[in-house]
Amino acid sequence: MSEKSLTEGLIYNYSSATEPPTRDVRIEPTNAYLGSCRSLKRAMGEGCAKFNSRYFSQGVGCQLILALGIVRTFQNVVTIIHGPLGCASNNIGLAGFNKTARALKGKPANDVVWIHTNLDEADVINGGVDKLRAAILYAEKEYRPDVIVIGNSCVPGIIGDDVDSLVDDLSPQVSAKLVPVHCEGFRSRFVASGYDAAYHGLLKKLVDPPVRIDSALSGTVDESERLERIRRENARTVNLLNVGSTSYGDEVELSRILTSMGLKVNVLPLYGHIDEIARMGEAALNVSICATHDDYLIGHLKERFGTPYVIDTLPIGIKNTNQWLRAIGRAMNLVEETERIVEMETAQLLEALEPFKKALAGKSLWVGGGETRIFTTAEFFQSLGMKVLGLKPHNFDRFAVPMLDDIDDPETSVAVAAGQPAEEIVYLKRLKPDLYVGHGGANGWVVRLGIPTIPLYGQSQNYMGYSGAYELARKAARALLNTNLSKKVAANVTLPFKQQWYESDPLLNIKETPTGESLRSSVQ
Amino acid sequence: MENNFIERAKSSCALGGAIATISSLPRCIPIVHASGGCAQTLSATYNLGSGYKGPGYCSGTMTPTTSVAENNIVFGGEERLEEQIEATLRVMDGDLYFVVTGCQVEIIGDNAANVANQFKGQKAPVLYASTPGFIGDGFKGYEAVISSLASDFIEPVAKKDKATVNLLGFTPGQDVFYKGNIANLVYLLNKLGLKANTFFGDGETVEKIKGYGQAAYNLVFSPLHGQQAAAAFEESHSIPSLTVDLPIGDTGTEAFLRQIAEPLRVPKARLEAVIAEERAYYYSYFQRFLEIYGDLDYQRYAVVYSDINYAFPLIRFLSEDLGWIPHLVAVNEEPDDPEDSAQYAQKFKTLTASVEPKLVFEANTGQLLRRIKESWPYNHNEKYYNQLSPLFIIGSSLEGTVAQKTGAMLLPVSYPVTNRAVLSRGYTGYRGGLTLAEDIFSVLVSNR
Repeated sequence: MSEKSLTEGLIYNYSSATEPPTRDVRIEPTNAYLGSCRSLKRAMGEGCAKFNSRYFSQGVGCQLILALGIVRTFQNVVTIIHGPLGCASNNIGLAGFNKTARALKGKPANDVVWIHTNLDEADVINGGVDKLRAAILYAEKEYRPDVIVIGNSCVPGIIGDDVDSLVDDLSPQVSAKLVPVHCEGFRSRFVASGYDAAYHGLLKKLVDPPVRIDSALSGTVDESERLERIRRENARTVNLLNVGSTSYGDEVELSRILTSMGLKVNVLPLYGHIDEIARMGEAALNVSICATHDDYLIGHLKERFGTPYVIDTLPIGIKNTNQWLRAIGRAMNLVEETERIVEMETAQLLEALEPFKKALAGKSLWVGGGETRIFTTAEFFQSLGMKVLGLKPHNFDRFAVPMLDDIDDPETSVAVAAGQPAEEIVYLKRLKPDLYVGHGGANGWVVRLGIPTIPLYGQSQNYMGYSGAYELARKAARALLNTNLSKKVAANVTLPFKQQWYESDPLLNIKETPTGESLRSSVQ
Repeated sequence: MENNFIERAKSSCALGGAIATISSLPRCIPIVHASGGCAQTLSATYNLGSGYKGPGYCSGTMTPTTSVAENNIVFGGEERLEEQIEATLRVMDGDLYFVVTGCQVEIIGDNAANVANQFKGQKAPVLYASTPGFIGDGFKGYEAVISSLASDFIEPVAKKDKATVNLLGFTPGQDVFYKGNIANLVYLLNKLGLKANTFFGDGETVEKIKGYGQAAYNLVFSPLHGQQAAAAFEESHSIPSLTVDLPIGDTGTEAFLRQIAEPLRVPKARLEAVIAEERAYYYSYFQRFLEIYGDLDYQRYAVVYSDINYAFPLIRFLSEDLGWIPHLVAVNEEPDDPEDSAQYAQKFKTLTASVEPKLVFEANTGQLLRRIKESWPYNHNEKYYNQLSPLFIIGSSLEGTVAQKTGAMLLPVSYPVTNRAVLSRGYTGYRGGLTLAEDIFSVLVSNR
């Protein structure tokens, strides 16, 4: 699938707006669809799935959390959550992890620092801008950060706090760059809007226009030699755009492969320094590893600076790693180099995977989580001889449509749902996969159902590239060596569902599904 | 006191506390009327941050929620709530369903109470509490939920059972050790011949909770949190309340037992027998570490940085049981009423070490380092400098960097606790005191 068709018709330059359009409007994804790979493809073509919703709904996530997941990682940053105490209070559970991740990635292992403006009942009536001002000045004085990011939550969004005017007022007074991020939870049904909101702030406030290097400019010989060197470097530099779930191992592995193709690799923007982010526009190519995460960022950089990009697939498994590398090879005019590397790496990996193939062949699995990651993960296990019984993408949009074809059996179940374990559990109870590969927050319920699990991603483990494929196979084979935990737990712990729910057709929980197929007909 | 911003608040909001509370009640299902992210995010605050307590029977991604979006904010979300309650009763298997609300729907004026009331008379009760985040922290959510139970669900009982008490003030999640703390107290109270209604403890059911109106007293284990719930019990069920400190170890537990014995009419002989027996048990184990304590000089300067429930009980344990130097107590929240703060300060007068600890109220996590530095003379490069060392901090997992910078060792006890896993452990009672001593000394010997 070429990059053109994945982003065709999308526009990105919303620089003059305080916030970009939400994904609901911009991409038109769905987060409520039950059917098969075949029926979903048809539904996406007809554009009807985007209207679906549910009678019974469970937590779907908040775009504020995904936005903060990006900006919280920057070096020397303080994030301010403009809202009541609860908004992004889950930072508490992640702060230690983020700090460790900084160390793992070789960055200064400073504490993750955030501030709640702590809006109360009086602020709901009078507005909370004064508290926000005080919080910004406190952050500046106490931490001298390079960046202060302000994540705007529902309450100021509804009552109409003018965060941007305050930022304009304060910017000349503080040395930190102030970045407002408009990510009010209620505004979007799709949490991925939070990625766009964070990147909108980053693009507006932190990314500088690339320095034009024109050798015809007058200047000293030394100066023009220096510029020439920069230009040569930039010409083979690619930005490898990381995401919250890329581990250091992933970044090392993908950088290793790209470096062996003769490229210079910047891994960013997560965990990046403000100076690195400022110079993002200088690279020759932006490389995405997750279209759901990056299309707004790279689309904008292309429209504004003309930087070409690769937005293709997620480099998990052999097929998709190779496909991803070839797309980069084509973009950088390194087709032959890429083929040499692909051939050598693939041969070595296939040999190494043999013992795991024996352990995994014939076993069945279900994969749930982010759309691009689950389809590539499923495809990899399928290539090892496993049977994919079903997939649960958190949402589904144009970027994953081509991946539907990678699943051998078009009747394979697809249950599009952000979170929503209720529907998925019914599928799992009936299909009984040997292994479940799931997103954070999902695995525990599945263990209670009696199915062994492995995590879909792990911020300290390698999943991507050739070494990641090896690790993933190794992990799955290990999980199947002892499944006592799920057996014991299922025999002694119950899930909070009524018997009649297990026996019902979850499709009846979806509203407005003219093209869906009933679970009973797709799951016999 | 005027609310200010808070750096790294050690709580969530009222809705977060409410979800944690409801999901810790037996077979109870929360129904969250709010934006789609609130239920899951606020749950995660406690499910991860509280020693990995997990979602319980039904929270986290499992939480039923209306997931209101922009159109509901514009047109109102009551219909959506009705639909969600109806669907939840069909799908989720609970003995009690609890509708709680987030900021968005409260600001636009949805009448969630009305909608919840439409479901009166169903097989399982549907209760309601107003819990928007802007009314305050997680403790406020606990208050709202327990108060609703007291006024709308628990049945009035005219004749009280003199030997039964309600335990209040344990906010699940916000108290990382609430399960074990409750279990230890039930053990002690049973020994005194009392029965404890615990809401969250082992063996509780919704049916039992319905009968909590028969208690003779509420025991509130916090000077601040649980007081509103206690007031609801007083108002609806005429049950008087006693405020007590979390009893930890020998000194704390004895004080607790003596404080409650008289109002609860525990026979003197029984009280003395229980204290004697438990104390003998306590010291039979306590003495096991005296060799290493003595040989390696494990007396420490102690800093406690915790919520108000734990601050005094912890420093009392360190000072009176372990013989440590009680140096600084920083409470990570401040009572709204200065009178309450002054009263809290009085407790420290009961400590018997030669120095009294300095008490500060400091909600901003990043300020602890400054507070410690200010508490001790600076090193002006003197040849001989009496430094604040050896130092031990009992705080939360967010105090790692301060411990590093002050050369202290750290045991996280107060929320959040993310670098320990907590299942059944608790620190209350004589036995809990032993557990706390074990954990403290495990930190001290961890490099050996």
